[in-house]
Amino acid sequence: MPGQVTLARLGREVTAAFGQAWSRIWFQSMTTTPMEIARIGIGAAMLFHYIIITPYLLEFWGEAGFMPRELVYQIDDSIWSQSVFFYFTAPWQWFAFHGFFLLCCAAFMLGWRTSWVKWFVLVGQISFGARNPIIWYGVDKILNSLIFILCFAPIGRAMSLDRVRAVRAAKRDNLEATLPPYASPRAGACTRMIQIQMAALFFFSGVGKRGEEWWNGDAIWSLFTTYEYYNRLLLDLLASHYWLVNAATYLTLLIEIAFPFLIWQRATRPYLLAAAIFLHLQFAVLLGLPYFSFVMVMGHMSFVRQEWLARLAAWWKRSMGDMEMIYDGRCGFCVRSMVWFLSFDGLGQIKIRNFRSNPSPVVSDAQMEKALYLVLPDGRALPGFEAYRYIVPRVPGSWWLMPLFYVPVFSRLFGRPLYNWIAANRSRLSAMMPGSPRPLMK
Amino acid sequence: VLGPVMISERWRERLTYLAMSAFIGWHTLAVVVAPAPDSRVTQSLRVLLQPYLTLFWLDNSWDFFAPYIGKGYKIRYVIEDSAGKSHAFVPIDEISWHHPMYRRMTYWFNAIIDDPDTYADRAAALFCQKHASLRPVSISLIQVQELEFTPEDHLSGKHPLDPEFVTETILKHDACPDK
Repeated sequence: MPGQVTLARLGREVTAAFGQAWSRIWFQSMTTTPMEIARIGIGAAMLFHYIIITPYLLEFWGEAGFMPRELVYQIDDSIWSQSVFFYFTAPWQWFAFHGFFLLCCAAFMLGWRTSWVKWFVLVGQISFGARNPIIWYGVDKILNSLIFILCFAPIGRAMSLDRVRAVRAAKRDNLEATLPPYASPRAGACTRMIQIQMAALFFFSGVGKRGEEWWNGDAIWSLFTTYEYYNRLLLDLLASHYWLVNAATYLTLLIEIAFPFLIWQRATRPYLLAAAIFLHLQFAVLLGLPYFSFVMVMGHMSFVRQEWLARLAAWWKRSMGDMEMIYDGRCGFCVRSMVWFLSFDGLGQIKIRNFRSNPSPVVSDAQMEKALYLVLPDGRALPGFEAYRYIVPRVPGSWWLMPLFYVPVFSRLFGRPLYNWIAANRSRLSAMMPGSPRPLMK
Repeated sequence: VLGPVMISERWRERLTYLAMSAFIGWHTLAVVVAPAPDSRVTQSLRVLLQPYLTLFWLDNSWDFFAPYIGKGYKIRYVIEDSAGKSHAFVPIDEISWHHPMYRRMTYWFNAIIDDPDTYADRAAALFCQKHASLRPVSISLIQVQELEFTPEDHLSGKHPLDPEFVTETILKHDACPDK
């Protein structure tokens, strides 16, 4: 009996230890930021790529092109291989789907309704691949693997329009309200899955290079002499300094084989990450594979530690300095505009002051009656248009407004008068806007 | 004392944890088995995983430039018009190296060379159609295969596609369809 009790206790302890290790590996609570960076990059790359290939849609994925459906079934008759293109009959259906898919890629990039848009991006990507598997290559494979994992991840919770909407909803009730950064074990699990995907890719890519030219150190020469990757200038250099060929060949093997083993350690991760990114920059420039390389780098973002991002954010905030926006809390339109604008301030760089309840020592009430002001640490006070113009390049979430504020001549010619007109008519505009947030009054 | 809401919340958390754990285990197994070399173990696991790998297009071998680089090859075709005159084309040269479709087209043209029985007829018909204004009578699909090209060859000013560094093989010679 005592032996059985000991055995049962041992069993419980082993199970508990395994459970703890499993949770520690997979379910650490993490923010989604590394995956959001990947989402934005992947969405942008896909949007650009699929826009460019639009003229080839029917030629390569259509019925009358190089790959009619019967030919696809001839090389892949699995019922599990599915594409929405299999069910189309008229050319307009291809273009309608393609247009919808492009919109989904744009929404995925911007993080708009991310929770369902990501599934359409996955379906579109798989559909292109299954409809013409012959022209499906490395970049599509890694894209598919990454998007598939992102579909299970709680993305859209940072650096996205979904986040902007959530922050705006919170600020509508109270302009000072902030939303804590989203973090969850599910985000941690999905980040880990992407990491394992990248490590597996490197491992199999490295150990698969068993051919003589790799182990003899000649692979890079062979590569650049094929017509696909022919590069005369580079061959001039390599032919006269052949040791570079050997070094580049062995370095490629070393990075690919070392990566899956050394990327996990705290001390070696930065070097392996830098090496992998360096490798892909070479692929982008020298092999003409920018799409593939960019997507791979986005996959590597999963290895970016949260503390690195936190340090980067802190450095950015420090470098940009404090910014205090002073607004008119009695004007509904102004409060609504502030809610909207502050929703894009993901790093919380802008402090706010309602001059009605908390007068500024720097800007007089008379000045405030005319425009919003931005007060800087050196005591400078920038009014209206100039205030926004100062903020836009310094707050990453508002970078998309740069063209409006920085197009030479146009911005100052139209931007300033437009702002002044809005400021002068803000009471009337407030009255015109139903459901404006309650003005903050003392 | 835990209320029913708290209890159901705890159960929901546990179920989510279990479901996510099962998915993680399954997916990680798939990610590792898909590119692994054939063995009795991987073959039996594949039976289980194959529908999942195929449906979501996760069946990747990650064999970039592996096991070896190999020599390059490309396709060219010669169309003979009704006057008996020959017109030669290298389709991959018609698109810029920087264009996003360049790689995809390379794979398509390589597929014609690798498996002419499956793709050559279709390709020949489309190439004839593309040059309908020439009134094509027949078409020859030709594989241009690169040979060994050494650093010395390069330093002496030669190019990998110079005639002495390539061989040509006719893959298919066919009459062009009337329309």
